[in-house]
Amino acid sequence: MRDKILYIIGAVALILLARDMYLITGFPAEANQGAIFKIIFFHVPMAITALTCAMVAFVASILFLITKNFQYDALAVAVTEVGLAFLAGNLITGSIWGRVAWGIWWAWDARLTSALVCWLLYAGYLMLRNAIEEPTQRATFAAVFSIFAFIDVPIVIFSIKWWRTQHPQPVFWGGGSFPPDWSAVFGWQMLAILLVGVVFTAVRLRQEQFQREIDSLRRMAHAL
Amino acid sequence: MYALMLLQASADDAVLREMERLQRNFTFLNSGLWVAWLILVVYVLMMVSRERKLKREIAGLKAMLEDKPRS
Repeated sequence: MRDKILYIIGAVALILLARDMYLITGFPAEANQGAIFKIIFFHVPMAITALTCAMVAFVASILFLITKNFQYDALAVAVTEVGLAFLAGNLITGSIWGRVAWGIWWAWDARLTSALVCWLLYAGYLMLRNAIEEPTQRATFAAVFSIFAFIDVPIVIFSIKWWRTQHPQPVFWGGGSFPPDWSAVFGWQMLAILLVGVVFTAVRLRQEQFQREIDSLRRMAHAL
Repeated sequence: MYALMLLQASADDAVLREMERLQRNFTFLNSGLWVAWLILVVYVLMMVSRERKLKREIAGLKAMLEDKPRS
């Protein structure tokens, strides 16, 4: 039943992504930036999905430390890994946009640097988990690290407001606007990428359950 | 006549430059969209291979546990 729901969500996300791609290619080029502006339809939803994953990981880590329930630890690792993939997509698509708009692949400004630091912190979280064998210790250390890493998330979000950055102000939150049909497609694209994130998280969560099953089977094998 | 030819040449240059800029813009947009899709596909493939590995490991451990009590 759970698998069926996942397949349905995945199919809806794929249909929406394909439909959005068709509509996006039909949009005219933006007056100043040209066609490269359309990368925003992937760049921003990927960033929002990644930061949502970081938020969920933060809450799950706190809940794990309070309850010591390993379901929360599994959720934290699942969303962190999925968020890392989306943040990588966000950083790379942003870099490609920067090459056209700014003439450079990368600028060490507050938004870009804090986003890169965020990616490195969560990559460190996954490395830390691989380095610790004992499951309870691994989950506890990882939860503390995840809470610490989350400090960077508000810095990523508000960096463009707090400091003068080369990164543009956001379209919706910085006084700009889209034509209505672009806004609608952007909304659907946001939903599609969030749904992809949900499917990835659910699959990754199931893998964590498999991992726990392996841990318990190993304990049984040692005991015999 | 010469001035007219010069004007024509500079207009052609401007059109060519604009076409190059648009072409470059499309090339980068194309690569950006490919990268975005590629990351998602690579991640899916990584998850599929991990799931297979985990299932193999579970099957191996279960087989080992079934054999052990007999021996």
